[in-house]
Amino acid sequence: MNIDSLVPPTRAGYHKGYGWALIACIFTTLIATPLKEHLDLTNIVMLFLLTVLLVAVKFGRGPAVLAAFLSVALFDFFFVPPQLSFTVSDAQYLVTFAVMLAVALITGQLTAGLRRQADIASIKEQHTRALYEMARDLAGALTIAQVSDIVRRFLLNGFALDTVLLLPDEQGDLKPIAKLDSQLQIEQRFALIAFDQGEPVEDYTLSGYGYGAGYFPLKAPMKIRGVIVFAPNSKNPDAAREQKPLLATISSVVAIAVERLHYVEVAQATQVQIVSERLRSSILSALSHDLRTPLTALVGLADSLALSRPPLPAEALETAEAIREQALRLSGLVGNLLDMARLHAGHVTLRKEWQLLEEVIGASIQLLGRSLANHRVRVTLPKDMPLVEFDAVLIERVFCNLLENAAKYAPPGSLIEIAGNAKGGSVEVSVCDHGPGFPPDKQGTLFEMFVRGAPESATPGVGLGLAICRAIIDAHGGTIDAANQPEGGACVTFTLPSGTPPTVEEESVA
Amino acid sequence: MNEISPNIIFVEDEKQIRRFVRSALEAEGCHVFEADTGKQGLVEAGTRKPDLIILDLGLPDLDGVEFIRDLRGWSAVPILILSARSTENDKIVALDAGADDYLTKPFGVGELLARVRALLRRQGKNSEGSPVVSFGEIQADLSKRIVTRRGEPVHLTQIEYRLLALLIANPGKVLTHRHLLREVWGPSFIESSHYLRIYVGHLRQKLETDPAQPKHLLTETGVGYRFQP
Repeated sequence: MNIDSLVPPTRAGYHKGYGWALIACIFTTLIATPLKEHLDLTNIVMLFLLTVLLVAVKFGRGPAVLAAFLSVALFDFFFVPPQLSFTVSDAQYLVTFAVMLAVALITGQLTAGLRRQADIASIKEQHTRALYEMARDLAGALTIAQVSDIVRRFLLNGFALDTVLLLPDEQGDLKPIAKLDSQLQIEQRFALIAFDQGEPVEDYTLSGYGYGAGYFPLKAPMKIRGVIVFAPNSKNPDAAREQKPLLATISSVVAIAVERLHYVEVAQATQVQIVSERLRSSILSALSHDLRTPLTALVGLADSLALSRPPLPAEALETAEAIREQALRLSGLVGNLLDMARLHAGHVTLRKEWQLLEEVIGASIQLLGRSLANHRVRVTLPKDMPLVEFDAVLIERVFCNLLENAAKYAPPGSLIEIAGNAKGGSVEVSVCDHGPGFPPDKQGTLFEMFVRGAPESATPGVGLGLAICRAIIDAHGGTIDAANQPEGGACVTFTLPSGTPPTVEEESVA
Repeated sequence: MNEISPNIIFVEDEKQIRRFVRSALEAEGCHVFEADTGKQGLVEAGTRKPDLIILDLGLPDLDGVEFIRDLRGWSAVPILILSARSTENDKIVALDAGADDYLTKPFGVGELLARVRALLRRQGKNSEGSPVVSFGEIQADLSKRIVTRRGEPVHLTQIEYRLLALLIANPGKVLTHRHLLREVWGPSFIESSHYLRIYVGHLRQKLETDPAQPKHLLTETGVGYRFQP
């Protein structure tokens, strides 16, 4: 693209046109002079009219007007008797002059108008083509920097306008994409107004190169993506004002390009996340399989030792039983660690369904089986307990961990109480025992990983249970707290948001 | 156990697990045929006329679910799956594909034998088809549609009865939520699992001694329900 084709003719061009008009009239006079013996004066008038027409076609209105007057003057001076004088002997020539001048002016005017329109159409066509080429380049741009570069090059070459793309960063501040020309001043507040209000802000004196810049919002279909600043330089200080419709078009084209790149980024990030999620979950399940397989063999082999015939001596039997117990404990530990890894990896996918709390509590007690054999468990739930939405497998895990803790720390034969009720926007559940309670100095850290009530005690465990409970309850948007009861014993209370349970249609009684 | 010794096929790639399972089952008087790959397991299933198949879900050569689908194309033999619990979903898919029960690793010999016995017993019972089933304080006569508790009739709604009948027709078998919802309520209720929970709750209120800690209508959390006679 070159500058001349887009910028209208300059002053120098106009002056040249007047010179050529003068030369053309003199030339016509020179040609007509030898012919005046053979031609009627009417035909010589025709020659002059032709000259005016040609000047109008070639150089536009001004030179055509000059040519019209010159032609009349030259015709009068050289051809109308008395020759070489402006005086006219026959008055009817005045009519000739008037008609000649009128015809010359009108044809000149019309021709020049046509010529001008053709010029404008051609310039517009070039603009459109350039805009189209820019849009095509933008469609292929892979980074924001490329977008910025393409627009900048287009406007700098074609319109003597400098361009700066401002996009919001994480804090919402508008930051330029490319390095700024040191002379270029960007007014952050104008950019912010354009960004917030979605309307162009035109400041023709205060910023840019001192010639007035335009701040246009990048309005994309989804939202405003940033601001584009058009700053004219000294070559054409009025460019921003003159080209406003074009700049608005460019802004929307750029906005769409920026939005497209934004979604490309989102898609790529999602892709990466899916891949890493898949990797993590396959590592965890491979680990789970690889750790559980030898544990299964260990438990099973210890069992078959214990069941072997003839029966083993009592001591060996005890050993077999101990191996089994330890292997099961190890397996529980592996389960906790893997759960913690899964929960801590973030993005836990909850399989939330509307559940009966009673059922999950029952299932947890069933699952713990032998570990709870030495304790009594009492469940107190109101008759009209609403359905609660949660992931049953994970909440079962919470109950198992809390019950296991209670069974571990409270003395055999004591009562473990589970109570629940609906309160305002949430459902509150507590698991309390009649054991020694939590040590008072540990209450703040109980839910952290690897914190135990009694370190290095004979009670087995590593302190993951409560941490897992908290991770699970957090994922459900609930809260969990630990406290000691006034009459002694530990109490863990958690809440779950109650939401709006689905309606259940009553069965028509048969 | 049956008087004729039952044939059991055990598909598992870990040698030590195969060893103890085989010795435990043989001590019970079963014939055990081992397979360490899924493909070999299918060949054994086609030739040995098995009474039960025990299948590890984590086979190296074949997805356990594919194994079950393939087998169910031509055989109704009971399948017990062993899974290293990583997600409940694997179990649900396997059960929906046609498996009968599952056992989570690690498991003890006692648990394994209990499940095997239950599945073999059911296999034998299918032909008898006694219409009266007793459990706890309950007697259910499926031919007369009468359920009694300590001799007193228990009133069940139609849906409660349908649900109970479906559960006790499959003693020891885990029935997934989807399966129960489809059979009792119909296909449009497959996503409405809270209906199922509420009606199982009703049944427990009417039939269990302690509804909060049921002994017969058992919850398999995240998977489904099981009737334990």
